[in-house]
Amino acid sequence: MVLKIIAVLAAVSVLSGGVLAREQVGGVRGRLDIRRLARPVERRPDIAATGAPAPRDVPDLRRGVVYLETAPRSAFDEREPGRAVMDQRNEMFVPHVLAVMLGTVVDFPNSDFIFHNVFSLSRTSRFDLGRYAAGRSKSVRMDRTGVVRVFCDIHSHMNAFILVFNHPFFNVTDTEGRFELPSLPAGTYNVVGWYEGEARITRAVVVPPGGWAEIDLVVP
Amino acid sequence: MRGGLRAAMMRCGALGCLLLLPLCARVSNAQVLPEQPVSLANGRLVFGGEVTATIAPEDPGFFNYTSYAFNALRNVRFGVSAEIKASERLQLLGEVRLDQGRVLNTYGLYLRVRPWPARRFDIQAGRIPPTFGAMTRTAYGSGNILIGQPLAYQYLASIRPDAVPATTDDLLRMRGRGWLSTFPVGNTTPAPGVPMVNTSEWDTGVQAHVVTGLFDWTAAVTAGTLSDPQFHDNNTGKQIAGRVVARPTAAVVLGLSLSQGAWIDRSLEDAIAGQASYDRSDQTAIGGDAEFSTGAWLVRGEVIRSTWQMPAQPTLHLQGPLAAVSSLIEGRYKIAPGFYVAVRGDRLGYSTITGERGENTWDAVIWRTEGGVGYSLTRNIVFKGSVQHNRRDGGRVRRDSLVAAQVMYWF
Repeated sequence: MVLKIIAVLAAVSVLSGGVLAREQVGGVRGRLDIRRLARPVERRPDIAATGAPAPRDVPDLRRGVVYLETAPRSAFDEREPGRAVMDQRNEMFVPHVLAVMLGTVVDFPNSDFIFHNVFSLSRTSRFDLGRYAAGRSKSVRMDRTGVVRVFCDIHSHMNAFILVFNHPFFNVTDTEGRFELPSLPAGTYNVVGWYEGEARITRAVVVPPGGWAEIDLVVP
Repeated sequence: MRGGLRAAMMRCGALGCLLLLPLCARVSNAQVLPEQPVSLANGRLVFGGEVTATIAPEDPGFFNYTSYAFNALRNVRFGVSAEIKASERLQLLGEVRLDQGRVLNTYGLYLRVRPWPARRFDIQAGRIPPTFGAMTRTAYGSGNILIGQPLAYQYLASIRPDAVPATTDDLLRMRGRGWLSTFPVGNTTPAPGVPMVNTSEWDTGVQAHVVTGLFDWTAAVTAGTLSDPQFHDNNTGKQIAGRVVARPTAAVVLGLSLSQGAWIDRSLEDAIAGQASYDRSDQTAIGGDAEFSTGAWLVRGEVIRSTWQMPAQPTLHLQGPLAAVSSLIEGRYKIAPGFYVAVRGDRLGYSTITGERGENTWDAVIWRTEGGVGYSLTRNIVFKGSVQHNRRDGGRVRRDSLVAAQVMYWF
């Protein structure tokens, strides 16, 4: 009986501690409002072609990335590197924007019936995966932070971005621009709105203890 | 004197471009220069561009001269291409090129009609891209893995559409002199001969293209011929050309091309009229090509056989049409991101004729090997360097090795 009481007390103690911990962390959420959306990259006029090229999909350019400029100390706790996928589908990289943590392995499957040749000459990550056919995949481990511009050597209109962070406080927005950066201790942070290759806006935001800070980042 | 001044200006221009382009690279990083096609009017008007500066020593053997009488290895080229999308069914495409700062050429200008946009069927009319051959579709220079061009598409044979030899010895005297040949019948002014397939300018006509499963089919009717594309028809016959491309797998592309058309100029037809029985003089060509690529490798090969029927004359004793066969193989291997090595082997041979001194090929057989490297500073700024060796069994200069460098920027 005594043991049962001790166990119950211990459980209550752990739970209350957890609740307390959850109450102490909050987050930032809001909207990245891009007023002038970029246009998909057009194909280069291929004058030497004897006919029109096959139809292709165009990337969804409504999404941006919101991230913290500097992250709280806990962000740098050791984590297992993850895995992410950037598909090649109908002459388009899917997704067009990928945000990952340092050490993540990004897979580049080819879902088209034609060849693609994924490459990047970015300082963050230089790679060239060569040509490979449908159903095959190659991968690259992201070992440096920064922006990786991804292209196809065969189809000049195919392009994408990979943002590599050393902390987990980033979020690719949804198509409405909404984002959420949870699990933040109370404090003041600089929140950055990134869109199509550039950090477009930076705002300071105060996260209250155990609460959410709401912010709308408007990019004219 | 004027020629020397022009050459000096060209050298300065080429050097200027070579020096400016790395600067452009920095500027490009700052996104001042476009790094993708310029799109206007909601994507209805799209511009692309290319600047290429190529520098090499003098070419005393005229191995790299084009039908525009300039050295392809000593050139600064500005090219602007545009596509106007009037509707899903109708587009206008064109490209203007400026070579050597003086040769302005509307390279292509044609209407593309797509009667059923959901189907891959097009009709193109105007100054249209060549139907024949694989290398015309690699859009030299951006698709050119080296600096020099394949012999079949650039090297000038001695024969001309406006002048013909009176005897086989007239022809044999011009062996290896295609850059500036002269014959006694027709236009006697020295002028460049013709390449097997002329990619310096495009032909005018109508082209139909359809894709069915693994096959691409193209057929065209044009005013000129492979060797001598025309804006206006210069004789009584049209050229008919066809090409089929099969893609059995993503790694393999196989092509077969055919063409036949009257190639002798009307002025020459008039000059020889009455001298002998006149049959239509055709250029007839057949070509097969293959491309294989996987991983870091790209290998292409092409064989073309072309014949040119010469107008019959009492003193010109030929057993049949003059024939030429070109064979090419080239390969590229990417050794690191943005860095590749490439090599090409190329031969252009000719059929034999009999002159006073015996039998010989009607033009000098030429072999060309070229090896080089390419380095992409950014995606759209590429540096190339190559060493080209030419060997020919005729002409005043029979061997020459040329070192060339090229910088290219495109968007």
